[in-house]
Amino acid sequence: MKKKISLFVLATTLTITMLTACGGNNEIANGGKTQPAGGNESAETKTLRFATWDTGDALKIQQDIAMKFEASHPGTKVQVEAYADGFDQKLAAGFGATNPPDVMYMWDFPTYHQSLEPLDSYASEDKDLNKEDFYAGLFNYGTIDGKLYGIPAGFTTRVMYYNKKMFDDANIPYPQDGWLWSDFLDISEKLTDKTKKQYGFGVRAENDTYDLQGFVWSNGGSYISDDGKTINGYMNSKETAEAIQMFGDMVKNGSAVLTGGKGQQSGEDIFKGGKIAMWESGIWPLESFKQAGIDIGTVEMPAFPGKPVKGVVAESALSIAKDSKQKDLAWEFIKYYVSNEAIKMRVADLPVRISVVNELKKDQDPLYKPYYTMLERSDNTPAFLMNTKWNEVNRQLSAAVEAVVHGSDALDALNQAVKDSERYLK
Amino acid sequence: MMIHLLKQLNVRLLSGSYRSIRTKMLFCFLIVTIIPLLSLGALSYYQSGKVINSQFGKYGENAVAQLEQQTSSYLNRMNQTTETIYSYLLDPARADLGDNIPTTYKEIMDKDDFEVLLKALKTDRTSGIYVITRSGYYYGENNLDVSKLSRIPAWKSMSDIPEGKYWLGFYLQNHGMNDSDSTEQPVLGLAVPINNPYGALRGSKILVEENAEDLLHMFRLFENDTKAHLKISDLQGRIVYETASVFSPQDSDIVWNKTLALNLWTIEARLPAKAFYRSSGIIRSNTIMVAVASSLLAFGLAYLFSSRFTARIRRLKDAMQKVSFGKLHTRTQVEGKDELGSLDTSFNSMVGGIQSLIQEVERSERQKKEAELKAFHYQINPHLLFNTLNSIQWKARLQGAEDIRQMLYHLTMVLEGNLDISQELIPFGRELRMIEHFLKIQEVRYGPVFEYELECEEPLKHYLIPRMTLQPLFENIFFHGFEDGKGAIRLNVREEGNHLLLTLSDNGAGMAPDKLERLLLPGSAKRKGRGGLGVQNANQKFKLHFGLQHGLTVYSTKGEGTTIVIQWPKKEESPHGNSANH
Repeated sequence: MKKKISLFVLATTLTITMLTACGGNNEIANGGKTQPAGGNESAETKTLRFATWDTGDALKIQQDIAMKFEASHPGTKVQVEAYADGFDQKLAAGFGATNPPDVMYMWDFPTYHQSLEPLDSYASEDKDLNKEDFYAGLFNYGTIDGKLYGIPAGFTTRVMYYNKKMFDDANIPYPQDGWLWSDFLDISEKLTDKTKKQYGFGVRAENDTYDLQGFVWSNGGSYISDDGKTINGYMNSKETAEAIQMFGDMVKNGSAVLTGGKGQQSGEDIFKGGKIAMWESGIWPLESFKQAGIDIGTVEMPAFPGKPVKGVVAESALSIAKDSKQKDLAWEFIKYYVSNEAIKMRVADLPVRISVVNELKKDQDPLYKPYYTMLERSDNTPAFLMNTKWNEVNRQLSAAVEAVVHGSDALDALNQAVKDSERYLK
Repeated sequence: MMIHLLKQLNVRLLSGSYRSIRTKMLFCFLIVTIIPLLSLGALSYYQSGKVINSQFGKYGENAVAQLEQQTSSYLNRMNQTTETIYSYLLDPARADLGDNIPTTYKEIMDKDDFEVLLKALKTDRTSGIYVITRSGYYYGENNLDVSKLSRIPAWKSMSDIPEGKYWLGFYLQNHGMNDSDSTEQPVLGLAVPINNPYGALRGSKILVEENAEDLLHMFRLFENDTKAHLKISDLQGRIVYETASVFSPQDSDIVWNKTLALNLWTIEARLPAKAFYRSSGIIRSNTIMVAVASSLLAFGLAYLFSSRFTARIRRLKDAMQKVSFGKLHTRTQVEGKDELGSLDTSFNSMVGGIQSLIQEVERSERQKKEAELKAFHYQINPHLLFNTLNSIQWKARLQGAEDIRQMLYHLTMVLEGNLDISQELIPFGRELRMIEHFLKIQEVRYGPVFEYELECEEPLKHYLIPRMTLQPLFENIFFHGFEDGKGAIRLNVREEGNHLLLTLSDNGAGMAPDKLERLLLPGSAKRKGRGGLGVQNANQKFKLHFGLQHGLTVYSTKGEGTTIVIQWPKKEESPHGNSANH
């Protein structure tokens, strides 16, 4: 009888054990998945945040530079934060939350300089930087009220690209430095063939007014008075209006096509497609034009009769946030970023160091030479550096320019823009 | 091993030996073990299956509710976006927003303001906010190709519905300006025609698209988790989303339903009953496996135990069988101190008893045979002897030798009693008569020098006594006890219950104690010459005929005489015994 009982108990226990064993396994399996997250690297590794607006290939280059910097600075990790289109918003948010990236690309110093670390002491005390090797004018862009907030990292001037094949097909000689806007208009008209949807030039539907300053200056105009206080009589001056009107007229008479607007392809794409013969831009699309197999030439901007050609520099600089906890490391990174080694890696920008330009003989290359010629012609101060309220004004100016290229009268539009903008300057 | 056992069982069952105790015990065990086991297994399966099913059911319901919530949050956000745009356009200040490309400074300022709003409404998830006018111009980011909008599956059918919100469902966003702009990411679209008689942009459509990757990922997670078939359809029955795999709905499917409050989309997750009960099915198969394993184990243990138990009974049975065939040296092995053990012990001692009894019988039979053989050996032709004695007697009479004739007569009578071997047991009276003849001879020989006193009631003379038992004792008295026949002999016989008690005493020489001791020991007679043989023979005869407890008891004192006491059961002569006389 005893044996019977023990047998029964054994069998029951077995059943229960097996059933509970099933449940137990599941728990173990679930438990196994939750592993302690993350490492404790941050304790030993310093992480440097670097914000950029670039995307694609340019971003890839920046990541490579960051990796090289990490290799030469053990224990440092550079976190490249690609803000792309949202750069301004995200940067402003970072500053607002006192949690900005340590190092960032910067161009709008008037807006942000209060959140940035003055770099004069770093730049003058650190001989490694070799400030004299930079193109002299570049530092002006990062200087507000006599203080330096950004080290130039790259820059470009704007030149006229042209499609050599289209010129050849139309038996038109390539444009040469020193040409006039009238020559440009003639060529545009000749190269336009609406049946082939082919145009001499492309006008951006939505222009950045900054880029147009070169043309305004070339015509003797300006957006703002030299003291930066007045726009009436400058932004809506005859010279300024003329320069902008010229593009509106080209669209009107059909020798240019609107690009980049709603339902329109971008100018670069159309140029690459061989449907516009001339295109005005900085160095950025150069590589993609080459890759598209377009036989391109570059030439400096045309001149208005009897007036000197003026250029405008688009510059990107590197700044350190005032709230950064590791400014010395940030400075080291900036220094590396503008070293000869890193500059050579960055083909989407023109080198900021004279020694690199000389070494690579960039200014001897006919394709690159116009950028440097234009740099010599870029001695005017851009409007946004002259008035901290420029961004507010710019909205109206942009609308006016857009209206002009869509067929409005330049003077009327600019008058309205000035009228709407003046209240911001008071 | 198990298969072998089962085969054996089968063979036993078929051969009809299932009546054996072992088989009965085995079945008993199995029933006792398996019934609780199976009921327990069934109970545990039923309970846990119920719990799991209800848990899983709740889980599914919750998961669907979560999907509903997530989807709702998408829809609500999109709806909010369109409503914001809609109400913005209702503001009379926006009346200047036109259907066509804005060309004047004022129009462009209005457009810019409007687009600032559209941009502000953008979140991380938003992949596009556009207001598309009747002319084909649109407000919003410059990356839309209006001509490609027809690529949205539901876009065309929407044109028929002039009012109300129109949910476009999930589709890949591929209406970008450039093909490179077409991210081909899955989006959820909402189109709202603007048809307010007041306000701007009447007849335009608001298009809001949200990146639905996360949402679809959730759907897929749900599908993977529950293996359910997910289907979202709108009020008109148009399928907005459906799990990619082929599925045929069954009535038996487990269905979880949710309706989105905003646009009355129904989320329906169908799980084939088979998949739903899969978990409990696993439990069931596990339970069955365990039950089968336990049953087999129980069977094995029961088999082992019952065979161990019955093996002992079987062994005992075999031993008994052997004994019944006469193998009396058979002993069974005693194992344990339980009832079976004591049974074994009893059996062994019983067989031992029988064996020694049989040996005793055997021995006494052999002695009888030997006595008979001896009798044969001594048997002389009685006729020759008697005829010769009669002749001598006749001659003695003729010559007037009366005393010789008397002696011969008595000798003949004694011999006659001695030589008649047809009966082993004779009436006591006959033996007494023979004693008297013997005494007559002694009287002739020694003269009347001895006394003989007999005390015996007449009825006692009918009881039986072994033949030739008293005569040797009398002979011993004359040859060893008396000197020249002088002395007194007393023979007393009386009844004592079922027994007769005979006392024979003399006043002869008696015996030394050591001699007395050896007198009745078998085998000692040969050393002693004739002296003790008569006593021993008499003793043996009583034991042979009446059992070992009967026989002679001898008391003797040297120089004073000897007393022999014999006790034996009363036994009357049967009529057959008489007829056998000759």
